[in-house]
Amino acid sequence: MIKKSLHKIKKSPVQYFFLKLLILLLVVFVLDFSLGNVFRYYYIKQESGELYRITYAIEKTNEDILVLGSSRANHHYHPKVFENRLNLSFYNTGIDGEHIFYQDAILKGVLKRYAPKIILFDFVVAEFDQDPASYDRISSLLPYYHNHPEIRPIIKLKSPYEKYKLFSRLYPYNSEIFPIILGNTEYKKTKHEGVKGYIPRKEIWDEPIKTMIYPDKYLLDSNKINTFESMIKDCIKAKSKLYIVCSPYFFNAKNQEYSIRLGKQIAKKYNVDFFDFSNNTAFTSNANLFADFAHLNDSGAKLFSAMVIDSIIKKDEVFINKFVLR
Amino acid sequence: MLFNSVDFVIFFVVVTTLYFSLPYNKRWILLLISSCIFYMAFVPVYILILAFTIIVDYFAGIYIEKATGKRRKSYLILSLAANIGVLVLFKYYNFFIGNFNHLLKGFALTEPLPYLSILLPIGLSFHTFQAMSYTIEVYRGKQKAEKHFGIYSLYVMFYPQLVAGPIERPQNLLPQFREKHDFDYSRVTEGLKQMLWGFVKKLVIADRLGLYVDVVYSDPYHQGSASLIVATIFFAFQIYADFSGYSDIAIGAAKVMGFKLMTNFKRPFFSKSTAEFWKRWHISLSSWFRDYLYISIGGNKVSIPRWYFNLMFVFLISGLWHGANWTFIIWGALNGFYVVFGIITRPFRNRMNEMAGITKLPKLNLALQVLSTFLLTCFARIFFRANSVSEAFSIVKKIVTLNTPGFLKDTTMLIYSSAGILLLTLTEYKEEYYKNDFSLLYNKKTAVRTLTCAFLIILILILGVFDGGQFIYFQF
Repeated sequence: MIKKSLHKIKKSPVQYFFLKLLILLLVVFVLDFSLGNVFRYYYIKQESGELYRITYAIEKTNEDILVLGSSRANHHYHPKVFENRLNLSFYNTGIDGEHIFYQDAILKGVLKRYAPKIILFDFVVAEFDQDPASYDRISSLLPYYHNHPEIRPIIKLKSPYEKYKLFSRLYPYNSEIFPIILGNTEYKKTKHEGVKGYIPRKEIWDEPIKTMIYPDKYLLDSNKINTFESMIKDCIKAKSKLYIVCSPYFFNAKNQEYSIRLGKQIAKKYNVDFFDFSNNTAFTSNANLFADFAHLNDSGAKLFSAMVIDSIIKKDEVFINKFVLR
Repeated sequence: MLFNSVDFVIFFVVVTTLYFSLPYNKRWILLLISSCIFYMAFVPVYILILAFTIIVDYFAGIYIEKATGKRRKSYLILSLAANIGVLVLFKYYNFFIGNFNHLLKGFALTEPLPYLSILLPIGLSFHTFQAMSYTIEVYRGKQKAEKHFGIYSLYVMFYPQLVAGPIERPQNLLPQFREKHDFDYSRVTEGLKQMLWGFVKKLVIADRLGLYVDVVYSDPYHQGSASLIVATIFFAFQIYADFSGYSDIAIGAAKVMGFKLMTNFKRPFFSKSTAEFWKRWHISLSSWFRDYLYISIGGNKVSIPRWYFNLMFVFLISGLWHGANWTFIIWGALNGFYVVFGIITRPFRNRMNEMAGITKLPKLNLALQVLSTFLLTCFARIFFRANSVSEAFSIVKKIVTLNTPGFLKDTTMLIYSSAGILLLTLTEYKEEYYKNDFSLLYNKKTAVRTLTCAFLIILILILGVFDGGQFIYFQF
């Protein structure tokens, strides 16, 4: 009977083609499903490395102070300085190359579980510019799509096809095979001495300072501005004290950067403090505090963290005393 | 519309399904409409440029065929002028003006000529060259003028090869639009497999290598020599995987519908000389220059110095074809120099090889020839990839000094990239030297073929770069 139907199908090239295509799709489905689950198992099992830090930030943080941001956040906010001065627990969720959408996802994942006492959002130059890379970087959130409905709207910003692509079990772990292996073999633990998320930079910048004239205006990404506002609203709603901080650059800026200008206006609208260290002379006068023009080294991070704490205390002494003197 | 996008996959499935559902005589309409949609997905208004050259060349073809004597030539010149004019206006105007203004500055004339604020229409050099090949062939009497305006438009606009070739000849492509293409199982699956391999080349190999190359070449002044050497070698594989990947997808997509496009690459990295390299790399363009420029200026049927001049001239124009920048012109000149130098020194090199006994070791001889050709083309490609001539020379200087270690911020980037190069090299090696010995994609056993296809799809899912962006040759 089967032989007869197969023979019949073989006579029609279209039917034969679809039969073969169906078989191929079945094989792909089985491989995708089984390999995807293996990847998932080892992804969750990681105990070190960058991917582990993402999982920790979204699913496990319980610290009093959280830092959100990119590589600048990660290398600029020193846990020991914060913990010693404020007597509060601290975690730095900053990850190299990440943009505001990623930070929003972390915040949503955190606020679903608890409300940190203080949230420091590291604001960068050109935070609101139109940059396709910001959307590309949403990929790092794909492994959390199925278990974290709160971040799905962020993932959908990447492309309208994303939810269909995520029918694949393997797709969320695209390009992660080696990071997963490294994360399961303790390799990264010894390579990066990450302390509570913070990874120090040891280099010393040896180039002279450059003068920077920022463009007065550029095309803005409304998704990013909306995300920024929604993050502020989420923090206010959760009663977490939010501080927006622009950390130092090794530039002599002749004018204020467009996104920083807008960021300040939005922060003011919601009565949120915005500390701007982007052109702070304590840093622009000393290249030894930098690892490169956009990143502080460990010494720079210690000084900067102390200055952020000073600014917070100066602004909200009563609020801080409530925690420090608990 | 990019081939490496979900939009294209949907587009391809819909167009192909409709294609086989329609009666033969209506299919050209579908192909023309879908080609317009495909092109307009980039910058819609630029379809008007295509329309202009199509109208000019369509009538030029008819008039050339009808006319005799000098009028015939006048129509050809008119058509070529229109095509080259569009090319000059959109691609070279600002380059020429920039150089002219630079000259004016030298004569202390401070009033510079204005630049045009226009975007380069995607694939302009490709479809312009394809259109020119039509009128030249009609003029030479090797092709009858196409009277059907829709079919002629489709010849210029056929979506699989519209934006990055292969640059077709009318004798090959035009008759195919009138052929009856049935759904042929083996042809359709062959086309799909070629497309699949093209996607692997683009997504898994080219775009992965591009991640490293882009970082290094975006700021070469702050890179060490090791990084620049690695990036330059990676770029060779990147551009090959990118462009041949595009060609595979284009040829495969056309094959599914029953069209046979010309081969564009024949494992160029196994060439034994730069002259051979150009017979294996971007064949549709190399043969275009050979047929319509090199032969027209005398080819090798002239005095020896003139022959060398002809070769250099064609390579310089080929460099300019790639882009309006001195970097491309130097790249073309270097390739021309390699070919001419290779011809001049061939007897001397043969004698040297004999004296050194290398000719008695054919495998070593072959390996040395392949390696030296590869390195020479890599060196020239520094000028192709660099943003300016001064940047290219700075890269060369840094490479020669060999003093600093590589950019190794992320080791996984290098592991993925090297794995991609290994996969590509092994596949090409097998095709070059053991073509008929064994095959995975075209194996006799269904299970092996199915598993190979499944493996390639899984490979794309695991290692493909989905945010890699457009194909490098789209900019030309």
